[in-house]
Amino acid sequence: MHIEDGILSPLAWGSWYAVTTAFVIPGLREIQKKVKENLSYKPFLAMTGVAVFVISAMHLPVPVTGSCSHPCGTPLAAIIVGPLATAVISAIVLFFQAIFLGHGGITTIGANTFSMGIVGGISGYLSWKILCSLRSPLWLAAGVAGFVGDILTYLTSSFELALSLHGHVPLLKQWMIFFMGYGPTQLPLAIAEAAFTAAVLQVMVNRRPDLLPGIKLRQKSSREVKPNVNH
Amino acid sequence: MSITKEQTSNQQIKWFDSFTKVMLSVMFVLLLFIFGAGKYMASHNMEAGGTDDLVNNLATKVTKGEHHPFAELPGDAQVGAFSVANFFAGLIVGHHWEKLFGRPKNEEQSLEVE
Repeated sequence: MHIEDGILSPLAWGSWYAVTTAFVIPGLREIQKKVKENLSYKPFLAMTGVAVFVISAMHLPVPVTGSCSHPCGTPLAAIIVGPLATAVISAIVLFFQAIFLGHGGITTIGANTFSMGIVGGISGYLSWKILCSLRSPLWLAAGVAGFVGDILTYLTSSFELALSLHGHVPLLKQWMIFFMGYGPTQLPLAIAEAAFTAAVLQVMVNRRPDLLPGIKLRQKSSREVKPNVNH
Repeated sequence: MSITKEQTSNQQIKWFDSFTKVMLSVMFVLLLFIFGAGKYMASHNMEAGGTDDLVNNLATKVTKGEHHPFAELPGDAQVGAFSVANFFAGLIVGHHWEKLFGRPKNEEQSLEVE
């Protein structure tokens, strides 16, 4: 989903910057608010941002398709630090990946943040919330969030390319052409992302449920929780 | 029971603890998978390129223009950049992980004394 410079037209990448900004500004406000409420939030956010940086630059080979791709990490980030804050950290992550690792581009930070940080984060977060409200097991809700967030990230990236480049070809057809470039490799990685999201979230809930207020209530009913940091 | 500072520090340096063992196991499983997949792909003459590149090239066929990353890292320079970035990323995650998920000091001490 790292679209490079020179592919999207100025109108297209400018529009994606505008759309992304509409999520990043409330994200910055949310971060400022949460930092004041919770002393642990800042290191938690830093750790999550760095984790997204590493996860979304970790290319894994998929032998069936003969190519490599990477998970996103944003569904997990959205669950633990919030979807709007995830948009902010994704923009920062994509900026550093573009300038230091040659992943993506500067003009495409808006489009790439929209696919990975906003759609990936929000869809993962919504899947998580819906399954939690249906009292699904924690690992299942987190796993589905990881899977949905991952696949929707790549669907959005293909859509961004198709919308800008479809020309006389029907949009849906061009969209699916681009998605088929990602899809076969991304499917096993989405399953891996599901397992990873479930495992990491379970560890965090076992260790620090107080950092995850949405989950704390469910956990407290089954066993007493003892946070180890006083705010 | 009172213990000296030296004894405490000796007891606390438990470098091959359960966390390290779990992390090493996960790392070896992932590396084994990568090596196995790499071997398979090499034996079947697969390129093992990134899907990002594949789709960017596909898009370039439509635009008929040039696409390029912001920073082009030739050969091993990319491995170097990834290593440096991931080394420091690991340090930052570890630093904050300890703050957030590490055992509180008083609990640690009581475990050592026991």
